[in-house]
Amino acid sequence: MSGSLRIGIDIGGTFTDLVAIDASGEVRVRKVASTPGDYTQGIMAGLAALLDGAGATVAELLHATTVASNVLIERKGARTALITTAGFRDVLEIRDLRMPRLYDLAWQKPAALVPRRLRIEVTERMRPDGSVAVPLDRESVAAAIARLCAEGAESVAIALIHSYADPAHEREVAEAVREALPDVAISESAAILPEIKEYPRTSTAVINAYVQPVVRTYLARLEEKLAAAGIAAPLRILQSNGGLASPEFAAHFPAHIVESGPAAGVVGAAALARLLGEERLISFDMGGTTAKAGLVEAGEVLRAEAMEVGGGVLAGARLLVGAGYMLKLPAIDLAEVGAGGGSICTIDAAGAPQVGPESAGAEPGPVCYGRGGTLPTITDCNLVLGYLDPAGLAGGVVRLDRAAAAGAIEARIARPLGLSLAAAAHGMLRLAAASMMRAVRAVTVERGRDPRDFSLLAFGGNGGLFAASMAAELGIARIIVPPLPGLFSAFGLLVADTEHHLARSFRTRVGEAEPKAVAAVLGALTAEADARLDAEGFAPERRRLAFSALARYAGQSSEIAVRLANGQSLAENFSEEFAHAHERTYGFRAPAGEAVEIVGFSLIARGVPEEARLPERLAPAEADAEQRRSCWFPDSGWREVRILGRRALGAAAAAGPMIVQEYDATTLVPPGASAMRDDFGNIRITLAKADRNAEET
Amino acid sequence: MKGDPITEALFRAAIAALGDEMALTIYRTSYSGVLKNIMDYSAALCDAEGRLAAQGLSVPGHLCSIPVALKAALARYGTDIAPGDVLAMNDPYEGGMHLPDIFVFRPIYAEGALIAWAATICHHTDVGGRVPGSNASDSTEIYAEGLRIPPLKLFRKGVADESLFRIIEKNVRVPERVLGDLRAQLAACEIAERGIVELVRRHGAEGVRALMAAAMDHSERLTRAALAALPDGEATFTDWIDDDQIDAGKPIPLVCTVRKRGTDMEIDWAGSSPQVKGAINNTHSYTAAASFTAAICVLGTEIPNNDGVFRAIRVRAPAGTIANALPPAACAARGLTGFRMLDCCLGALALLYPDRVPAASEGGNTGITVGGFDAARKPFIYVDFLSGAWGGRPWADGLEGNTNMFANMASFSVEVIEAEQPLEVLEYGIVPDSGGPGKFRGGMALSRTWRMLAEEGILQVRADRATHRPYGLQGGAPGTPSCNMLDPGEATERVLPAKLTMTLKRGETFRHRMAGAGGWGDPLARDVRLVERDVCEGLVSEAAAARDYGVVVAGEPPRVDETATAALRAQLRASRAPYPAVAREALPEAAE
Repeated sequence: MSGSLRIGIDIGGTFTDLVAIDASGEVRVRKVASTPGDYTQGIMAGLAALLDGAGATVAELLHATTVASNVLIERKGARTALITTAGFRDVLEIRDLRMPRLYDLAWQKPAALVPRRLRIEVTERMRPDGSVAVPLDRESVAAAIARLCAEGAESVAIALIHSYADPAHEREVAEAVREALPDVAISESAAILPEIKEYPRTSTAVINAYVQPVVRTYLARLEEKLAAAGIAAPLRILQSNGGLASPEFAAHFPAHIVESGPAAGVVGAAALARLLGEERLISFDMGGTTAKAGLVEAGEVLRAEAMEVGGGVLAGARLLVGAGYMLKLPAIDLAEVGAGGGSICTIDAAGAPQVGPESAGAEPGPVCYGRGGTLPTITDCNLVLGYLDPAGLAGGVVRLDRAAAAGAIEARIARPLGLSLAAAAHGMLRLAAASMMRAVRAVTVERGRDPRDFSLLAFGGNGGLFAASMAAELGIARIIVPPLPGLFSAFGLLVADTEHHLARSFRTRVGEAEPKAVAAVLGALTAEADARLDAEGFAPERRRLAFSALARYAGQSSEIAVRLANGQSLAENFSEEFAHAHERTYGFRAPAGEAVEIVGFSLIARGVPEEARLPERLAPAEADAEQRRSCWFPDSGWREVRILGRRALGAAAAAGPMIVQEYDATTLVPPGASAMRDDFGNIRITLAKADRNAEET
Repeated sequence: MKGDPITEALFRAAIAALGDEMALTIYRTSYSGVLKNIMDYSAALCDAEGRLAAQGLSVPGHLCSIPVALKAALARYGTDIAPGDVLAMNDPYEGGMHLPDIFVFRPIYAEGALIAWAATICHHTDVGGRVPGSNASDSTEIYAEGLRIPPLKLFRKGVADESLFRIIEKNVRVPERVLGDLRAQLAACEIAERGIVELVRRHGAEGVRALMAAAMDHSERLTRAALAALPDGEATFTDWIDDDQIDAGKPIPLVCTVRKRGTDMEIDWAGSSPQVKGAINNTHSYTAAASFTAAICVLGTEIPNNDGVFRAIRVRAPAGTIANALPPAACAARGLTGFRMLDCCLGALALLYPDRVPAASEGGNTGITVGGFDAARKPFIYVDFLSGAWGGRPWADGLEGNTNMFANMASFSVEVIEAEQPLEVLEYGIVPDSGGPGKFRGGMALSRTWRMLAEEGILQVRADRATHRPYGLQGGAPGTPSCNMLDPGEATERVLPAKLTMTLKRGETFRHRMAGAGGWGDPLARDVRLVERDVCEGLVSEAAAARDYGVVVAGEPPRVDETATAALRAQLRASRAPYPAVAREALPEAAE
């Protein structure tokens, strides 16, 4: 390695992954233990190891962090207050009333991030058109400030009714708080989300306020340590929407970085899709406890307009909302299911097999880890069938006890079901694949796409083990397992762009839209985007602005984003463009002539880097000697299978079965499939198309 | 025949996913807020005989309504069913529930045989009749309630029946929404067909039939295993609806007897009120939905909903009662009766299994409609439902600001209401001291206040629990009653009945305060720290903390005075009788 390095740093619950790339495309990686007490320790240790003897300087540090989401999951945020309009202090707690579980008398909704005592009302009222119904009462503001002071609030969200229409009152309250209490962090709802609907806006502002002091401290500490280590390179933080931003922005609007971690892998998938010319790609990231699917079409990731955070993973989460905290900011749309290597296999009260939703997690972990786990898991099943190396994961750091795994599966699954050990273990893998398929179907079938039109990009420690069987069930013919599959999220950071996503409410019918008013809204969005990109150091010629209108048929209650083709105004044929987008999203269009209404505009502002960020290829690591191992498959039973490293895989397709075993992941190529390595370094698996019943036992 | 357990488990996962995909299809393609925000729809797969095989995530109130409706449609058409047919219906007296709920069924064929039915039900925004929303509680005959569709073919062999479409279009107030939502139902059926055809390709027609049957058997085994784990017994519980708005002030009793023996349960509504004049009469299927919901709440939530569940739990409802009305009884607003039946059936289950069942909820949602013309003479309809308090539970406080179990409904955004309707919302929040005191207290009520900005409009309110409060259990107190009020806090203030239809004029304000939920267990046994927290949070006043809980809290921030509390609790224990096991009224003031 030489010259200047760009380094991606991805913090997970267990490991901190670092991937460095130099100008020639050479890659160096490090996986170090995460240090939850102070994550910067793990980062600095990883950086020291990575840079040791590299003789290179650091050009840029790109960082995905779970710091903000951990604060929400663990409820360890700042002592946060909320200032709101008189009569509405309970909006935050009432939410939208809905709950994520039917028939569950034990349902406990997440406690509001701001207790009722700290939800303080001020006297004022705006109308929907931004006119003032009740002027802001200064005395009530003074009383609110006295309350903040008495309660020792560290951070405050200000969310007033209709502030999206005119934020004047919010600003005035913020000014007064800032003047009286300069140390209290302030989050104004309309500055974060200038959109109609008080609950999502309030909740988003509160999340921002709740995590802000923690994130700010974390970023300051990290920058301080980097400086102390002599690393002067700029630090950039990945947002939930997949775009990078400056630490200053992240510290000011940390609500944007809550889902930073999971976004990185999909950003990598999108970059790879553009490089490989893959028009339609499903990204599939499977780790120890969850599996996540995302969508990349024409090189662009699929985004969601809102998410819930801190609520855990629930089946059916797309229909049944309310498990977590509402964050209405654009994020990469990921469907997540609670299935991973640690998922536990059981027999239900009716004698039927079941996988998950319980997970053995890292402690006690699967039976084969020998750390006290007694319930068989998916990892145990993979081991028993020969798909995983008994010598262990991560280059032999963890040895796996095959006999213990086999004993648990035999006693708890195979015997009760009257199946052989192998048939039982394989059956459990198929059940796990079925639940992971729900994540894939959630981003395809449920959005009117046919998964058979897609390639599957599988990564994460377990992605390559399940890709082929899942693809077979879904009718997907082509699988790509990228280089560094276990570190792919850190790799994704290296190819992300700076991006800012902005939106504003604006209600009008198409055809009745005042061009001047539209221009004013788009102009305001442009000004804000320019300010942000300017602060990020992007000259005007390196800025790319893409406007969309948020539109729906009159009468519908949710909208879709339709790109404004000409950039700056509503085109004559906007209704037709909307109908086209509607058909693409939902599979139908309304009869011609149906009124279309606009409820807002959004803007994605991108800062384009001066040089391409993706190397032409990623060289695989040195190959280990080829081995053979006995593996079980439904049609052929036990048979000797080639175990090889990625480097040993050639450019010509080789027939399965075989297992590609790497430092950080294992890829299974089942009988009937073939695999090769492409120019970039990806493993390409092709399934025999007619062979969609191959997995039937 | 014993099948392969792995294949069966995979098949169950596949049809469960398919049911959810149908539900999601409706969710994303429907027009109306009723479907999107309120989730008042369901989707299901049935076998060729019309038995429920899988139901997508949706509203408990539709549980098992689909097979009843489908069987009625099959009874009408017999074997006169062909590929490409689509059936539609909403008649409560021929398989339906109430007129706004339109069912759409599509037969699915493969290998030349009828394999399955795709089934959907959606609550439509309007189906005509005398009031916007077709939901009035004061209609007295079904003929006033809107367009009545017996099982009919909407499509014959793939060809739309134009006359039926045009009749629908001309008889509803918002045809673009109704037709848009019908399209969503058709789209969901198409998703189901694709999925079933794929499963047949994989397993064969016979295989799919056998696997559907196995899925039902699996749910039956799970249900029976859960039932076997409960002690046998029989209990009868009575709860009341305040009135039906027509016979104002005349309480309507609901009587539920639960008999549990071995692996069977029977839920019997004998003794309930004869059917009533107002529009709150149930079909048998809606009574069954409430009964099953109560049973499933107690049995556990992990059992896939299909025919197997219904085999182990029988619901009886004598014809001619409010639980199983005969024509031409009106039933548009029967949602209220379903909610109260859930309270009532849970009450009976609480007598049998006291450690599993919470005290009464707020009583179900309140429906509020304001309709009229705005300044530009454009018509407006505002339909909203409020719900939100759970009874105290044997292990925890009741929730506040959370939907009622029976209807997973969202509330409308205040800002959206003001942007779209000539209404101003003055307040929306939690009412302190409204949840029934208990060791685990009931959830606090919600309140919302509107001001009329248009010249005038017709206000309709369907509320309840104003005279019959949500019951407390095991020594817990009942929640506070609901209340409707005109011009609260002004000289013109007056209390209105729970159910009303009236003109609201410009500048007038209307407040609805829901009932608070019942408490569970003796309030004097409540952890003093929880009382302190509630006072701190402004949910319980210092006065109520002393009066109801015997806890002396004072200061800023409020802190418990332990000594004074011990003395007060001892005094209250000595001087006042505890609440009964089922408490419906407040205790008389403690003797000095």
